[in-house]
Amino acid sequence: MTEVSNKDGLSIRNQIRDFFKQAVEKGIFDAVLMPMLVPAKDSYAWILSKDKNLFEDFNPLAPIMPVNAAKALKRYTRKGKGKFKIAVLMRPCEIRATIELSKLKQINLADIILLSYDCPGALPMQDYISDPEKGEQVFNKILNEKDWNSKDIKPVCQICDKFSNSASDIHFGFDDGKILFISNNEKGSEILKNLEIERSENLNKWEKNIAVVKKQREKNKTESYRTISSMVDGFSNLKETFANCIGCHNCQSSCPICYCRQCYFDTSVSKPNSDLILIRAENKGGLAFPLDRLMFHTGRMSHMSLSCVSCGLCSDACPVNIPVSKIFSYVASKTQKTFDYIAGENIGDALPMRDYKLDELGELGKLVKSAEPGGETS
Amino acid sequence: MNKLLTINKEPEIALKEFLHFLLEKKKVSGIFSLRKINDKGSVDYGLITDQENLDEIAPLMPLMPANAGQILSRFTPLEKPIAVVTKPCEFRAFIELAKREQGTLDNFLLISSSCSGVFPIKMNASGEIEKHLPDYWEAAKKSEIHPEIRPTCKACEHFAPENSDILISLVGEDQKTCKMYLHSEKAVKFAEGFDAQVSDEKFDLSKLDPLLKKRKLEKENLFSQIDNSQTKLDGLIDIFGKCIGCHGCNSVCPICYCTLCDFDSFNFDYNTPILERELEQKGAIRLPPDTLFFHLGRLSHMSFSCVACGQCSDVCPADIPVAAVFKKTGEQVAGLFDFVPGRNVEEEIPVMIYKEEEFEELGK
Repeated sequence: MTEVSNKDGLSIRNQIRDFFKQAVEKGIFDAVLMPMLVPAKDSYAWILSKDKNLFEDFNPLAPIMPVNAAKALKRYTRKGKGKFKIAVLMRPCEIRATIELSKLKQINLADIILLSYDCPGALPMQDYISDPEKGEQVFNKILNEKDWNSKDIKPVCQICDKFSNSASDIHFGFDDGKILFISNNEKGSEILKNLEIERSENLNKWEKNIAVVKKQREKNKTESYRTISSMVDGFSNLKETFANCIGCHNCQSSCPICYCRQCYFDTSVSKPNSDLILIRAENKGGLAFPLDRLMFHTGRMSHMSLSCVSCGLCSDACPVNIPVSKIFSYVASKTQKTFDYIAGENIGDALPMRDYKLDELGELGKLVKSAEPGGETS
Repeated sequence: MNKLLTINKEPEIALKEFLHFLLEKKKVSGIFSLRKINDKGSVDYGLITDQENLDEIAPLMPLMPANAGQILSRFTPLEKPIAVVTKPCEFRAFIELAKREQGTLDNFLLISSSCSGVFPIKMNASGEIEKHLPDYWEAAKKSEIHPEIRPTCKACEHFAPENSDILISLVGEDQKTCKMYLHSEKAVKFAEGFDAQVSDEKFDLSKLDPLLKKRKLEKENLFSQIDNSQTKLDGLIDIFGKCIGCHGCNSVCPICYCTLCDFDSFNFDYNTPILERELEQKGAIRLPPDTLFFHLGRLSHMSFSCVACGQCSDVCPADIPVAAVFKKTGEQVAGLFDFVPGRNVEEEIPVMIYKEEEFEELGK
């Protein structure tokens, strides 16, 4: 495996592993959650390890994201804070999902240290799994050549403009084979201090590079949203786009934000009796099965789009290649904009549905007023 | 009760006419069948109650967007039956569900066919299906295995359910004449008045032999790829290691009928100290936990009723050969009880029967 190395000959991956090893040796972290190649070497899994000897097997920069890290972390902390200090290295979109889940009380962030890195994107899971060796090569090439505009990464990664610093405690910026250590809060600064790592001060060059990529990504996003809007704006387009959905709900079960133990659309409420089925069929002359597939997607949209972080797992998991993630990303961009909210950006921002503002969505009020008898007619 | 209706038309055309007849004469309250949803040949299942909408159905299309058995089990008792056209494994799945009180056969006039297999779900979405159809029906005619069909279809030996109400013979037929075998009194009653040549004839099972022989070979081949008799647990970890835990296999499985799978329930949502203890004992844990446990649990819960429809493999985002593992395990487990899932609704599920003397060797 060839990788970009810094002057000391250490690859970025080794530098990261060393960082965690030292932190565990010094007792700053008790355990580390990071991706590791599975025994068959055909995918990655999230491994939480206390054992330093296993750190060599971690791949801090995995080419794929089979499970959103927030989901892995949720399973560990949903029932409350533990006794260990756990450090997790995540992609920025996983940090955002973690922040959202913490607001939704599904992750307890006490004693969790979040670390993020400049993410080159992830490969589509199907591409990687069909040929893991090639996947590793493709991804390393992207890393080495700093090919931020690669067409090999997931479509949703190609339109991601939040790929760099995040709401983590510490961010690793990549600058010519060097790691820039950026602390984002007191907690982060304290850790860097204890590790005797100087917080990188001169970020100008790196910031400039990031800004260039960001601009390109924003452009990609605008173009992509234009295509998507023609696929989903209006009922008939939406219906056609989701026509091939088989109702497996893989998108929902792989979604880090969809945290309900049982989705409403899987409950017995969503399984009507025959008489109701027949009435519905007779009303229209025919009824499609599995039932309510479009309703499921629009329902999911209305439930979670305010917290959608565009990680793309839904698309990876879709067996019929519906561009779910781009669609949800597009819708989320609109719903989040309505509330001037960016999912996962800041732990202090209240979830829009939890936040009561006296003056909000005034235009809706006008609509209501105009509908009242004797109201304005415009 | 064995009658044969012969119609001198292509099977799909004749079948469509038959379904038209059933709905027009109000013998059924609706038709449940695959139907085209676009001009690329994509299909979904539809319940059609209006004559005018019947033209869009494609009852014999070699695709399975969902296992119909799973959908039919949601129908609570009906006043008047619905005519249903399914693949044999969907029919068998429904039989297994009926045994579990998840559906009732009285609701339906069950029409199936001798089946040459279905194409993977991806093909339903990609719009490539049409170009494969001529080859597919040619293979059916010659009792051959089409190279593009699902791996579990290639290895399927139960591809002609004799106990469906009506069986349409397709394998080894010239595809120019439609032969409908009526297996039940219900079928005879429903077909009364339909314009066809009627004779007393039983479906000749030996017609299936040429394909059966090829399928058996394919099965050996498929099973040899899933061999962990030497590798044991490590082998299973190799197969299921890349599972992402979406449980899509479970949600499309017709046999997995639980509203909430135990593995998604509170029971498996461990308190932090439990996970911490495991972390301390082992040094490292995988999160989310229970990746392999889920599959082993599902195997033990449903594999003996697995009808090998292959939906699980088709929806797996990690391309795990789930269906092959479940088919192989299922046949071995069911074999211990001389049980064939979906063979007969009267045949009880092995775990429901108590025999005083059974598996004595285990006692020793």
